[in-house]
Amino acid sequence: MNPLFAFQLRRVARNKQFVFFTVLLPALFTIFLTKIIGGQMPGVAERQEVSASIMVSMMAYGAIGASLGATIRISFDRASGWLRQLRVTPVPQTQVFAVDVVVGVLLALPSLLVVAFVGRFVNGVQLPAGTWLALLAVLWAGSAAFVALGLLVGLALDEKAAGGAIGILGVVLAALGGLWWPVEILPEAMRGLAYTLPSYWYAELGRGVAAGGWPAAGAVLAMAGFTAAFGLIAVSVARERPLHAVAG
Amino acid sequence: MPPAPALEIRGLTVRYGDAVAVDSLDLTIPRGQTVALLGPNGAGKSTTVNAVLGLLNPSAGEVRVLGRTPRDAVRAGSIGAMLQHGGLPTETRVGEVLDLVRRSFGRAAGEGTWPQADLVTTAGIDGLLDRPVEALSGGQRQRVLLALALVGAPPLLLLDEPTSAMDVEARRAFWTTMRGLAGRGHTVVFATHHLDEADAVADRVVVVAGGRVVADGTAAEIKSGVGGRTVSFTAAPGQRFEGVPGVTAVTWQGGTVRLATTDADATLRALLADGGLPDLEVRGASLEDAVLSLLPARRQTTIGATR
Repeated sequence: MNPLFAFQLRRVARNKQFVFFTVLLPALFTIFLTKIIGGQMPGVAERQEVSASIMVSMMAYGAIGASLGATIRISFDRASGWLRQLRVTPVPQTQVFAVDVVVGVLLALPSLLVVAFVGRFVNGVQLPAGTWLALLAVLWAGSAAFVALGLLVGLALDEKAAGGAIGILGVVLAALGGLWWPVEILPEAMRGLAYTLPSYWYAELGRGVAAGGWPAAGAVLAMAGFTAAFGLIAVSVARERPLHAVAG
Repeated sequence: MPPAPALEIRGLTVRYGDAVAVDSLDLTIPRGQTVALLGPNGAGKSTTVNAVLGLLNPSAGEVRVLGRTPRDAVRAGSIGAMLQHGGLPTETRVGEVLDLVRRSFGRAAGEGTWPQADLVTTAGIDGLLDRPVEALSGGQRQRVLLALALVGAPPLLLLDEPTSAMDVEARRAFWTTMRGLAGRGHTVVFATHHLDEADAVADRVVVVAGGRVVADGTAAEIKSGVGGRTVSFTAAPGQRFEGVPGVTAVTWQGGTVRLATTDADATLRALLADGGLPDLEVRGASLEDAVLSLLPARRQTTIGATR
């Protein structure tokens, strides 16, 4: 294994906040929301549908938090001078960047797996084996958009602003994107806003698959568009502000 | 063909907007030397160091490290650096950071890295390997950063104000380490504004001011080049001595004024004509006096402090 990759992975795994917000919290939300909302459903079929929908939302919520949280850290590493220090070792700069991308992508997976596990074994969500795999696959692939967004924010903002941005982005994407509650219960104007957020389309991606079909073409296009846009802006910000620049 | 020098800088010019930080600076450092880049804050020392490391793009000029461009030299593991604004990563232990950097040098250079036990002693990080980075004191961090510079056993070491966070005792221990590095055949270039540091460690002192080299030689040569004397005595604060015959520089330390003079006789005669000179002392020029006499007048107050 690449030494820098192992090094970075170990650092994030040591961060208790990260583990709490990206794995434990979404898992607990999945249980509570299903008990509260699912319990009000009259029939078994409705309860199944609601449980599956909540699970997909929480998988999305956890993966978004993990992808953003793992990548925004690049801002902290710049502020501490670590990236500058690394720049005067033989480690190539492209590797520093690439490792953070891979770590961000990889760390979305535990959130997805744990919430799916809770959905299946605590809330009793029943899906065919192929659907489970497809669901995990599309949500994992879709998390690339948030890896790109996290890098963009981490590269563009200074330490304090980036630290605040993690919390704000997480809440805005979840609340307005329909992860904590369905967008249908939001007022008309706010529903329109939801359609402009990547979190909405990300969950749609999963819901299409969980319903037993293909992900909606609109959701796939939207996610591809967000990923490309965030990625391109992140690269241009990185060109403007090299990783080793401490300030300015 | 003779081997390429450890460091060759030709016509290096670095501008930040309209300000010229380094002004067509030339400097060649053969392998094995220990060189102090000495100068006040803002003289262009750090900018020069950063250009040698490829951390900035010069406006003009050329830098070669062992015959390579700065970027290639860093990638090849030829340079170990201790930066002024370098840092350590969070959520790690000292030993893990050291191990990461050691592996990167091991791969790049394909040569032996610094043996761990000896590195721990040399850098003075005994007992720190298992410590979380967050639990290090300022001086300990500095020593860990030194260990990171040394771990790859690179032929060229660049240290930018390495002792700035150290107390007097730690600094003296550090000097011993630096002298030991030269003994092992490393080329050591360090930036400092401590004159005693340059005097104690370097076998060559390059005085930088206003982005240019204003003097270059052994500490002894630079001192002898002045040939002046220092006259010091107690004086009332606020008194002006700039116009006294022979005086080239004036520095204050509390109530004591020190005058660098090219003509001690004339200076003393003029001063005595004005009245008594309590606590009078006259001695040969120190390296500090020598450097002061070399610097442009407006910079004279910022150098010489030996914190």
